[in-house]
Amino acid sequence: MLILVTLDTSTHVAPPAARPNRTERTPRKRSFRWWIYLALLPLAAVIGYFAYYPAVSAIFWSFFHWQPASTSTPLGFANYVTMFHDQIWWSSFRNLGFIFIFSVVAWIFPLLAAELLISLKSLRWQFVMRTLLIIPMAFPGVVTALVWGFFYSPNDGVINQTLKALGLEAFAHNWTGEASTALLSLLFVGFPFIAGLPFLIFYSSLQNIPTEVLEAAQLDGVGRFARFWQIDLPLMASQVRILVFLAVVGTLQYGFVAYVLTAGGPDNATMVPILRMINVAFQGGDWGYSAALSTTLFIITIAFSAVVVLVRRRGSTTSDGGAM
Amino acid sequence: MTIARSRPTRQVRLKTTLIVLAAVGLAPYLFMVVTSFKTNQQFADSFWQISFPLHFENYSVAWNQVAPYLFNTAFVAVLSIVLILVIASIAGFVLARYRFAGRAFIYGAVLVLMMVPGLANLIPLFIIMKDLGLLNTYIVLVIPYTAGGVVLGTILIRNFVEGIPQAIFDAARIDGASGARMYRSVMLPLSLPVLGTIALITVSEVWNDFFWPLLVISDNSLRTVSVGLQFFQGQNVTDYGPLMAGYLIASLPLVALFTFLSKYFLAGVQGGVPGAH
Repeated sequence: MLILVTLDTSTHVAPPAARPNRTERTPRKRSFRWWIYLALLPLAAVIGYFAYYPAVSAIFWSFFHWQPASTSTPLGFANYVTMFHDQIWWSSFRNLGFIFIFSVVAWIFPLLAAELLISLKSLRWQFVMRTLLIIPMAFPGVVTALVWGFFYSPNDGVINQTLKALGLEAFAHNWTGEASTALLSLLFVGFPFIAGLPFLIFYSSLQNIPTEVLEAAQLDGVGRFARFWQIDLPLMASQVRILVFLAVVGTLQYGFVAYVLTAGGPDNATMVPILRMINVAFQGGDWGYSAALSTTLFIITIAFSAVVVLVRRRGSTTSDGGAM
Repeated sequence: MTIARSRPTRQVRLKTTLIVLAAVGLAPYLFMVVTSFKTNQQFADSFWQISFPLHFENYSVAWNQVAPYLFNTAFVAVLSIVLILVIASIAGFVLARYRFAGRAFIYGAVLVLMMVPGLANLIPLFIIMKDLGLLNTYIVLVIPYTAGGVVLGTILIRNFVEGIPQAIFDAARIDGASGARMYRSVMLPLSLPVLGTIALITVSEVWNDFFWPLLVISDNSLRTVSVGLQFFQGQNVTDYGPLMAGYLIASLPLVALFTFLSKYFLAGVQGGVPGAH
């Protein structure tokens, strides 16, 4: 901050008509303004050392039998060859596929809630219901996971107790402890999945539909369901496309609920790539292999994120612009 | 007549459905509140109903164990927020208001990081911290939150400052304001909403992050809320009242922030989406 005091003010009185930060061209050669770089130094140091350097070092060490405390031996592509034969790693991606499909299908609930909410006539009711629907977002994720874990627990768990009370003991399960139900149990954490980004996006895009469009539709006798298919969905298309890609990126990060409730078990039924990566490093001590897994995950995520950005850019110039 | 009568009933049906949906969503949290006042015996008698007397002592039991986690989390969050806001506001201001060689490159380097989730760096960053001898310190917690926060912060602040009319800066300059003066007296006061949003995103990030504190902290007195609660659960597995009271205590600060500042919170949730900028 003090450095900026030396700023040479005279060069910056730009012609008022132009927007200097966009169009200004330097009228004459400026002296080297070293303080600008000094002001950006903290940013560059932080992201350079704690974001870029680790990413590059993971790629580098993935070609080694990496032993952080002693000498590491180069292995070439051996870690990646191991990865291709790692059954647990690939089955963890199959779980991710299931998680992704489930989370997209589960959008039915936020979509339904948004449609119902937008149909309420009273604005006060809309506000109150919206608030009640999104309150679960405010709770820390670990609390949600632990409370659901309590629901699932085999003996005193609320679900099994309820089944017992209803005389349906035959349906009681060790929900997170059996391979057949564990993954589905994890996915039901947070049911009905309304408190989250999809709901906020659905609701705000429904709110942004111009009233003239809806009035015109009403005059033409378009019913509520027809309106959903013919107006709401097409106008939400670009948003939904973005949500799909965000769900892909989000799914790749999935792991924390699995760690808290099942730790990837039973028998790797709920294993996901992040947990596999951590286990390989912290339990197996195979840091080089873990770095290879980390690099693979990193490249997959970057690829999908790049798609998000491209879709977003195209979406905002065409469909959004057209809709408004 | 028929129309007049069918309208309200349709609205009533809508309201009922929405109330049911909201109730299902809130049920686990209501259950948590109700159970937090019970003894194990009361819980065994009826696990849904409120039963008297209410056992407030569950909260003091839980508080003694959870409070250190809350203080740690708050301390780490405040430290991260200060660092993020100082670094990102200077960088955002300079990137938005000055032209210089390498400007596009530096901003591009920040934008690329928006697409990289922190989890991808978990393993190498852990080794770096271990080599620096920082495991089991507050600093090791602050570093990744700061590194992640300055990325989003710089982008949000730069976009915000670009949106401030140039006329305001021109007027300040004619009055003889230096760059530092404009940063302090023009840009910072106008940027308070976006600074608040960044602070809230950071609080929520620190409160919810799990794997990093799990791996770098083994000293229980330094644990943050998410990992601390998991440990706390292990300690109180058979004592449902204090267990739920502890969960509730750990949630309350975040819920309170969300309730009073939900506008900025939601702006943060939607602004934190990659590709939004």
